[in-house]
Amino acid sequence: MEKGRAREFDEFVAARWSALVHLARLLVGGDRHQAEDLLQESLVKLWFVWPRVADGAPEPYVRKVMVRAAARSRQRRWWGERPVERMPEAAVAGDVSADVAERSRLETALARLPPKQRVAVVLRYYQDLPERQVAEALGCPVGTARSHAARGVARLRQLLAEMNEPVR
Amino acid sequence: MDHFERQLVRMMRDAEAPAPFEPRHRERLWAGVRVRRRKRAARRAVGSVLAVAGLSAGLFLLPGHVTRVEPGHPRPLPGTSPSPAVPPAVPPATPDGASSFPPATPDGPPGAPSSSGTPTATNPPATSTPGSEGTETPSGSPADAS
Repeated sequence: MEKGRAREFDEFVAARWSALVHLARLLVGGDRHQAEDLLQESLVKLWFVWPRVADGAPEPYVRKVMVRAAARSRQRRWWGERPVERMPEAAVAGDVSADVAERSRLETALARLPPKQRVAVVLRYYQDLPERQVAEALGCPVGTARSHAARGVARLRQLLAEMNEPVR
Repeated sequence: MDHFERQLVRMMRDAEAPAPFEPRHRERLWAGVRVRRRKRAARRAVGSVLAVAGLSAGLFLLPGHVTRVEPGHPRPLPGTSPSPAVPPAVPPATPDGASSFPPATPDGPPGAPSSSGTPTATNPPATSTPGSEGTETPSGSPADAS
């Protein structure tokens, strides 16, 4: 019984690991270790409710746990953000591929957003969730979720534009 | 959705790099499950201990509460009632017979217990009725007062 349950769980995690790691990475602003920590914590929680959600929707459950934790991340010291004068991971032309440089720029910009704005942007644009579900995942009214997403996009627009400016 | 938003969607989707679920991830995941299971068991044990302790405290305090409401003092007797040894049929010997109060409090030694709590007796009985032993003590005989 327990072994069958564990096998099912393992299969689900192995199948969805890559996508979930990427989502976690976007939610935390690019840090791979934080993303793995977030995903591990969420999957541990999933294991204890696995009999209830296995036949239904395990992935939305994990996503909700990750989103809630990421949105609360400001209160957690180990996820604390430190404002810096210069972008720490600015792409250097010529030594990395264009894709990696673009990803790096995106993650750096996401990392500079407040957690709730970042979560709202990721859910709205990467997960393509409707505003109502974004609000539900964030635990706030729809108008507030819409506002988080709009402000997040506006800030990203500004940050990415600054990063694309040629270095003088 | 404007051009920037479409570009943002594309960037987010293109940024996904393949990340296989490695044995180290599996080991760490199950280690996390074991830790959480231990924490839950410990929390449940602490909860049970607290519940038992609370119940025990409640049961301990409940009989104590009942004990405290027991009467601490005997109910005060009416002032007219003599000690139980006095036969009620015997009237007090008064010279004029006008007083309806029985001579309940003979003069005993100072500090001797009195059933009514009022050791003042203004009219001591003149005579003792033979046969009513030990109930009416003449004044000045402390030996019989007890």
